[in-house]
Amino acid sequence: MRRGEVVLDGATRSFHVRRDRSRTLKELAVRGGRRRAQATVDALRDVNLRVGPGEAVGLVGRNGAGKSSTLACLAGIVPLDSGRAECGGRVVTLLELGAGFGTDFSGRENIYLNGALHGFERDEIEARVADIVAFSELGEFIDLPVRVYSSGMYLRLGFSIAAHLDADVMLIDEILAVGDESFQRKCLARISERMEAGTTMVLVSHDPSAIERVCRRVVVLDAGRVAFDGGVAEGLAAHHRLLGTVEGGSRSGRPGPGGQLDVVELDLLDALGSPRRVFRPQEAVQVRMAIRAASPADRVVAALEVRDGRGEMCFRSDTAVGAVDGTVEVSFAVEALALLGGDYDVAVGAAEQDAPAGTWLDRVARLSVTPVSDGEGVADLRGAWTVGDREAGVVAGGRSA
Amino acid sequence: MLGENTIKTHVAHVLGKLGLRDRVQAVVVAYETGLVAPEPRPPFDAILPCVLRYRFLFEQMVRRELRQKYKGSALGVLWYLVNPLVLMGAYALVFSVLLRVADIPDYPLFLLVGLIVWVFFSQALLAAAPSLVTNASLVRKVRFPREAIPASVATVQLVTFIVMLALVLPVALIVRDSLDPALALLVPIVVALFALVLGLSLAVAVLHAHFRDVEPVLGAALLPWFFLTPIFLPVEDMPGVGSRRWLGDLLEWGNPVAPFVSAVRDVLFAGQAPSGAHLLYLAAAGAGALVLGLLLFRRMERDLAVIV
Repeated sequence: MRRGEVVLDGATRSFHVRRDRSRTLKELAVRGGRRRAQATVDALRDVNLRVGPGEAVGLVGRNGAGKSSTLACLAGIVPLDSGRAECGGRVVTLLELGAGFGTDFSGRENIYLNGALHGFERDEIEARVADIVAFSELGEFIDLPVRVYSSGMYLRLGFSIAAHLDADVMLIDEILAVGDESFQRKCLARISERMEAGTTMVLVSHDPSAIERVCRRVVVLDAGRVAFDGGVAEGLAAHHRLLGTVEGGSRSGRPGPGGQLDVVELDLLDALGSPRRVFRPQEAVQVRMAIRAASPADRVVAALEVRDGRGEMCFRSDTAVGAVDGTVEVSFAVEALALLGGDYDVAVGAAEQDAPAGTWLDRVARLSVTPVSDGEGVADLRGAWTVGDREAGVVAGGRSA
Repeated sequence: MLGENTIKTHVAHVLGKLGLRDRVQAVVVAYETGLVAPEPRPPFDAILPCVLRYRFLFEQMVRRELRQKYKGSALGVLWYLVNPLVLMGAYALVFSVLLRVADIPDYPLFLLVGLIVWVFFSQALLAAAPSLVTNASLVRKVRFPREAIPASVATVQLVTFIVMLALVLPVALIVRDSLDPALALLVPIVVALFALVLGLSLAVAVLHAHFRDVEPVLGAALLPWFFLTPIFLPVEDMPGVGSRRWLGDLLEWGNPVAPFVSAVRDVLFAGQAPSGAHLLYLAAAGAGALVLGLLLFRRMERDLAVIV
């Protein structure tokens, strides 16, 4: 086993839903220690993965796909039923921020405690304290008990400690989703620095942009198996396909006012007219819906709204449909999708013209955009940089130089 | 060529010869007979290198426990002297003034010495039992030797115990008005007592993680145990013992805490060295409890992250 190497070899682990809640003596006495028939959940089924030193792998998948179990098994916290899970060299885990913090310890004291928990000695930690304190931006708070910290300060301290210990392997679970954006960026930069120093990263995240910035390789887990192992763009697209098959085209659950007008069908179509959930930036997309009126309506309006992953509106438009009796098909055609990589919701609805706006968008489809460009944010502006008289690069859908 | 059915027949024969129902039972037997070794971690590697290797972690954990325990209290560790002092007052009143069963000079001091040993023993076990469950987030999210959790809890109680000994010692010296060489035995006695407490703490902590009734059962058992321990009277003066030697022997040797109470009292209260048999018993009980506690812990810690 080389330092920084990570190996999963036929890793299999299931959890007994019943037994793993701890038993009581009464249960034991009544059943004489025999186990009753149990439901089991297979968290990992024959997972094979080999990560070389200095490599960074993003682990994605739906909830319950086995991402966190994989990390716990790699860290040696949860033993496998069969197979092998090993990390070469020193492992630092960041599975839960502030796990094991002494709440009455000051931030500084917790640096030592946390370092010790990860198997580091006093002098190794001492050499890092100044860097950790500076990175955490905690200032004089570092000498106050962490009990008084805000959750953001907790996060900053926890990450700073883990990111400054000299690990050969770092296992990170969904940590970067917390905290303000500037600190997130700083964390990602620090992770890149560690990778350059040769630390191997295995990162679980639901945030495609974090995976995209850090990783060169994506492993998609589904139902405890490796569904995809390869490049980042393809991996994230595979991940989005998995999401789409489950979530696409669902109703938002709000009935239209009076139940008079309903969107009964909603599809996202590509240039060839076939329904899809995952698109590349600048691709053509057609949003097609079918509106049905329970009773004839005169002045019908159809609307469409695109929201980003946080629910913020990115785009909204409506159109007069006119009189509807029975079912009518309405489409909204987008020539080039000006959205950057990420998950979006396309919400549509129909109502009589005087209905209050915003309450009747009752059908939602998940639209996933493959992250391929260098830009950050929501809109893909297809801009180009010029430095002096030399074109420095185009930042646009998939064609950044 | 080997057909699938041939294999199935062979497997069935093997199971039949061993009297097993299915292959899962066969795996169990394989583990039990040592045919298959469960984990690379040795069940009982040398304690000393282990302690040395993780001593910084251990020190940090003890400091964390201490801080948690005494946060925001002005008297801090001194509060834990109040409990035995109150008990001492109450029992001195009952046994020596009201019931008049205890005819021992300096009876309050006699009581106090026994009480601090008992308080150390019982408080450590009661604190250690739920410790793995209370620290669930740590157990589930960080890989480190889990023994450190109950061990640090027991060590915090040791610190309290030593502070109490340090406070009682000068009182005992003044009352007795002599400095006996036997006092030096206090150190090995305390070491053996700590080994006993540490071993039992590891055991109750890991048992409680598996069976959540351990803590309440322990809480209930400690009360009768307290009264069966020769704290109020020396064993030979306990009611009903005088004529029945075997009962005295049972109370003194059948209860692992009793010889410790007697030995600490011999040294601290009477200024005498305990008997050789006592000292031998203490060493054996301490070492035995520690080894058994560690073995049990290593055996049962496998799925801790899942069950706590």
